[in-house]
Formats: sequence, structure tokens, C-alpha cells
Amino acid sequence: MVFLQIAAKDLRSELRTKESLNASLSFAVVILLLFSFAFDPSSEAVAEFSGGLLWLVFAFAGALILNRSFARELPNDCLEVLIASPVSGAQLFLGKTVASFILLLTIEVICLPIFGIFYDITWIPQALPLLGIFALGTWGMTILGTLFSALTVNLSLRELMLPMLLYPLMLPALMAAMRLTTILLAGNAIAGNDMVWLRLLIGFDIIFTALSLALVETILVR
Amino acid sequence: MTKNIRLVLGALVGILLLRNLYVILFNLPDEMEQGPVYRIFYYHLPAFFAAILCYITALVASSMYLIKKNLRYDAIAMSATEVGLAFAAVNLTTGMIWGRISWGIWWAWDARLTWALICWLVYFGYLMLRQAIDDPTERAKNSAVLSIFAFVSVAITYKAIEWWRTQHPGPVLSIRTGKQLIDPIMENMLYMNFLALATLAVLMVIIRLNQEEMQRQIDGLRRRAHAI
Amino acid sequence: MDDRNIQFMFWGLATAWGLLAIYVVMLAAREGRLKKQLDSLKRMIEEKQ
Repeated sequence: MVFLQIAAKDLRSELRTKESLNASLSFAVVILLLFSFAFDPSSEAVAEFSGGLLWLVFAFAGALILNRSFARELPNDCLEVLIASPVSGAQLFLGKTVASFILLLTIEVICLPIFGIFYDITWIPQALPLLGIFALGTWGMTILGTLFSALTVNLSLRELMLPMLLYPLMLPALMAAMRLTTILLAGNAIAGNDMVWLRLLIGFDIIFTALSLALVETILVR
Repeated sequence: MTKNIRLVLGALVGILLLRNLYVILFNLPDEMEQGPVYRIFYYHLPAFFAAILCYITALVASSMYLIKKNLRYDAIAMSATEVGLAFAAVNLTTGMIWGRISWGIWWAWDARLTWALICWLVYFGYLMLRQAIDDPTERAKNSAVLSIFAFVSVAITYKAIEWWRTQHPGPVLSIRTGKQLIDPIMENMLYMNFLALATLAVLMVIIRLNQEEMQRQIDGLRRRAHAI
Repeated sequence: MDDRNIQFMFWGLATAWGLLAIYVVMLAAREGRLKKQLDSLKRMIEEKQ
């Protein structure tokens, strides 16, 4: 499973400096803080969009992490070497996706208690389902985001183009994740009509994982 | 020779559009509830279908490029997307103006408007990406992949937003498709205007394609001129 | 109220035509620009030969 080795390499490289991780995490907390000024945490209405707020924070933090994904290979021609190596483009891509996924999920898991404190939301009873939704939503974000990271790696406006391309395209997954998270944070289980969102999220993940794996070679081959 | 075909086509489209406009303004009856303002619909809906036609063309052209690696397909995809964006803009703005009268607000987060806006942004992103890449092959390759992703995502987003909006009864949902309008005169005009706009779209894509060909000629000549 | 209705109708139709007209103008402008570039390049090459 070569992609696991690629994932491990990326994670090791990241954990050495923790550059992205720290930047992303601090950014996420700052945004949570800003949101608590923009949207009064004590108001009743917050329960309506709690999931929305949380996923906005994850999306912004995610852009930072995803940008680094392929950009970290630019110095010393590492990217050229990786592409030229026997490692298939799909393995390289999948490995980087998994690494970003783990990093982003870690940030989310840290943000959740902070969010719970700022907004006085009890999430512990729903911790496991929440983790599940986080995982599904984050996978959708990282699979598309890593692909666009590869696509935009050589562009000068990379930091701008990545979010600009990623956010509209991942909207279905983002919407579903937001809705499902709001439901869980309100203390309810996902059932009945809301299952359609869960199916959307899973369907999105499957479709775009397949599509990305199929097309990533095209992007990486120079 | 092709220039003549384009002129003839252009003239035909112009005549058809003007004829349609005349009929829309003077011969058709008022809609029962909305009054004259509903006539915007005769552009709003056909523009939507013209845009969809363009986006599907872009999808097919992008896929063909990835298979055949012929830059002509890339040019078709780009032209179709650009023209599609123009018609989608017509769809969006006419929808907003109509909504202002019907609902009293310029914007409403109903299923169709929201989806139309996102769709426009997605394909605009395609043009933005193209602007950022200089090498023709890289640009063609990457934007082809983006085009395919864009189409799939936009299709999924459509379903998602429909579910979202049916959960929150918002303002009046957009009128159903022309198939359900009772009066056949009105339905007929919708098809006529769609014919006009679709033909206009084809013409615009052909013109844009031709311009891409010219650009390629220029790039080639420029290299020659500087080599001498 | 009816007057406003008709007003909006005209704005709506004007917008539809206007946006398409703007795009046509953009196309025509690009066509002119490209033609000029092409002609000047052809002339430049002929002169150099």
C-alpha cells in the first residue's frame, strides 16, 4: 500500500515543523472567535446554524492545509521526482489526500470542544456520530482539495485559486455536512428525512473519489 | 466562405429574435396573475436551456480532449463555456428582475436562483483557471479536468439545493417548466425563443472558436517573426 | 402598480437583450483586435523576407 507510505511521509514531514498545523489551528480558533462576535452565541438562533459556522471554520482551515499538500514538494524539484518515480499518480494523490485528511480531522477534533465552550453547546452525547460526519465531510473536502492542490501547484495565485475552485465544487458535501452537524449539535439523531443528506454526503465522497483517482494521472503528467 | 455562412446565420437569428420580440410584446395575452412582467420569462427560461446546452457541449468537448488530446476540443470547451456563462448571466439577471416584482426582493435563496449563481461561479472559475495557465497543453489538460468536475458537482448541487429548499418553505418557487403552462400559444413562443437563442449560442461559439484559431495563428506567426 | 409592472417588464427584456449585446460587442472587439495583430504580424514577416 504505497499510498500509506506517501501519507506517512507527508505526516512525518508536517509533524517535524508543525508549520501548517499550527497556522491552521490558530487560524481556526481566531475565526471561531470572530464568529462569536458576528453571531451572538447566546441567541436562540445559533442552534439553527451551529453546524454551518463550524464547517465554515473547517473550510477555511482546510484551505491552508490543502494548499501545502502539493506545494510542499516544489522546493528541490521534489514534485518532478515523485511524478517520475515508479509510484503511480493515483497512489501519490491518495497518499497526500490521506495525510491532509488526518491533519484536518485532527484540527476539527480540537476545534469542537473550543466551539462547544464559546457557544455553550453540549456535543459529548453525540460525539461519535459527529466524528463520523466530520470524517465524511472532511474526506469530501480533502479529496477535491488535494486534486485542486495538484492542479494549482504551479500557479502564482495558488492561494487564491485553490479556495476559489474548491468551495463552489464541494458545496453539496459542505451543505450536507453543515445540516447533519447542526442536527447532531442540537441533540437529535439523524433519521427520517435527514437521511437524504447522509446519502448525499456518502454519494459525493464515492463519486468524487472515483473521478479524482481516474483523472489525477492526467493532471500530474507533465 | 465560412464568413458568409456566419453572416447568413446571424441575419436569420436577428430576424427570428426581432420577430419573437414583436410577438411577445404585442400579440400574446397577459398572464392572469402577474400581468405583463411575466414576458421576461420568454427570455429567462430559453436562456437557461441555452446555457445548459453550452455546458453539456463543454463537458463533451473536455472529455474528448482528454481522450484525443486534440487542442481543437479544448477550444470548443472554452468557447462553449464562455457563451454558456453569457446566457447563464441573462438567466440570472432576468430572474432577479422578475423576482423583484413577483416576490418584492432582488434576491431569494430559492432552489433555482441559488443553484444558478453557484453554477455561474463554478464555470467562471474555469475561465479564471485558464487565464492563470500559460502553456496551451497544460491549460487544456487542467481545465478539461476542471470542466468535468464542474459538471458533476453542479449536477449534484442541483439535487442538494432542491432538498435544502423544500425543507424550508421559502418564497414562491420558480414557475414549473413550460410543459405545464396551459396556454399553447405561450408554450410555443418559449420554444421559438429557445430556437432563436440556441442558434445564437451556436453562432457565438463558432465565432469564438474562430477567434481561438486566429489566436493560435498569431502565436505561431509571432514565433516565426521573432526567429527571423 | 400596473405601471411599475410594465416598467419592470421593459427592464427585464432590456437586460436580456443588453447582456447578449454586450457579449456580441466583446466578441466583435476581440475579433478586430486579433485581426489587427494578425495583419501586422503578416506584414512584419513579409518585410523581413
